[in-house]
Amino acid sequence: MTYRRSVSRKLARGLALVGLVGTILLLAAVVFFYSLTFDDLTAQDALINAVREMLEHVALPLVVLMVPVAFVVRRVIRQAFDSLEEAATAIEAARGHERGFRIDTSHLPAEALPFTDAVNDLLGRLDDAAMRQEAFAADVAHELRTPLAVLSLEFDRLDHDDAARLKHDVAAMRRLVDQLMLLAQVDAAAAAQFPLESVSLVEIARDVVSFLAPDIIAEGKAITLDAGTAHPVARGRREAIAAALRNLIENAVRVTPPGGTVNIRVGPDPVIAVGDGGEGLSPDRLRELVRRHSRADHASTSGAGLGLAIVDRIMAAHGARLTTDPAARELSLHFPDT
Amino acid sequence: MRILVIEDNDRLAKLVADGLQRRGFSCDIATSLSDADSALGGAVYDAIVLDLGLPDGDGVTWLANRRQYRQMPPAIIQTARGALEDRVTGLDAGADDYVVKPVEIDELAARIRALLRRPGPRVQPVLEAGCLRFDTAARTAHRGDCAIDLSRREADLLELLLRRAGTVVRRETIEDALYNFNEPVTPNAVEAAVSRLRRKLDEAGATGALHTIRGVGYMLKDVAA
Repeated sequence: MTYRRSVSRKLARGLALVGLVGTILLLAAVVFFYSLTFDDLTAQDALINAVREMLEHVALPLVVLMVPVAFVVRRVIRQAFDSLEEAATAIEAARGHERGFRIDTSHLPAEALPFTDAVNDLLGRLDDAAMRQEAFAADVAHELRTPLAVLSLEFDRLDHDDAARLKHDVAAMRRLVDQLMLLAQVDAAAAAQFPLESVSLVEIARDVVSFLAPDIIAEGKAITLDAGTAHPVARGRREAIAAALRNLIENAVRVTPPGGTVNIRVGPDPVIAVGDGGEGLSPDRLRELVRRHSRADHASTSGAGLGLAIVDRIMAAHGARLTTDPAARELSLHFPDT
Repeated sequence: MRILVIEDNDRLAKLVADGLQRRGFSCDIATSLSDADSALGGAVYDAIVLDLGLPDGDGVTWLANRRQYRQMPPAIIQTARGALEDRVTGLDAGADDYVVKPVEIDELAARIRALLRRPGPRVQPVLEAGCLRFDTAARTAHRGDCAIDLSRREADLLELLLRRAGTVVRRETIEDALYNFNEPVTPNAVEAAVSRLRRKLDEAGATGALHTIRGVGYMLKDVAA
């Protein structure tokens, strides 16, 4: 533990010092006023008198003054710092919605304003920097798409075994570029404080499964949806939740061997679980994959890339969680209860 | 089947047209909206593939304008971005379908085939997917030269699946299409009808054409495996 300056401790020390100095000065005043001499203090009666005088004129005034001062000062400090503590709670609560967040200064004491204003200014600059970086990523991704499309169309014309393989590689690259764009859009959307709507998780799962099924079947794999009779609802943005589920299923399809099945389970709680034919993902590995640039060991060359990072971002923006159950070989989206 | 590709990037337009040609479509290219106007004035097209940003105007407005005054072939819009919002913009613009640009030829060809199978002003009397053929007037189905004997309900089901071949048809959609509002539907009526149809397709040699996506619906494969 490093030593920290504490205003309360400083004040306690200050008040103790004031008390000490005050006591000495008052004692000196009493001695001077009553012209006491050393002899007076040695005599029995005189000593009692002197002590009573001192109690009346020194200890009593000090207690009368110091106790309320200490009490009031403590209260004022507590109040001033309470508002700072509230601000800290608000900052903590903004986890996942950092973009565009500013400390509310309306309840803060004037003395704290230079500091909070500076912090807010810093937050603004960080937002700008993040926005510039995302815009750059989105631009780069957007610009990359056309040449990649031309490349893949050219390979399409070649009648050669290698062409199919190269086309596959280009397709993987395009998917990565698309994911990069999606990630930039997710971050931008999180900053934009989008309006929340109630969305049916079963409906989203049906849409996404319908959308992905043709490609999954073409790869010789199967997909099933197990929705039960419950209709769990989440609050958020439909397209974003669908994008998260799409990425999660695409990831599951990638680790599922041909002939295998990807199983989607919804409810009864606001949870969508995606089970795959892979080896299961440990929580540590998931944490690692969620950080943008790493990839699963068992991912093929088609690029796990940014998929899980995108899922995690979208979940965070919805106050939801991405979890893994290695034993069940499942990754799940847990939404807060509505 | 004749397709008009409207795309201002010359090289991309040629590559797309070339790819579609090798998949059995005949293609013309228009590199601007005025080009497209004259092409549409001189020939009949079965579908158009429309890029949105063109040198002489916006594809969406152009499409909406033309739609107001005359018959137009179904249009597939190429939207530039496909992730969060822009998915819907193409469809709002009155396109029949949209693909995310830059497009994969196989996907585009599949979308065009699906578009042409939809009921519309230019009705295709014979629906095809892979090796399966269905004559919508005679209500007969063939696999190659082999006729498949179907009941009325199975024929309806096959037509429905063929019209959306390559995409998943929801169970509820099938239920709504095959059974009247006041007709009692047993919980597994759709499953039973599908499994009868599947058995007949299997017997005719079209094995593995009809897929079940458990919990969602069914899908007929678009191209022969």
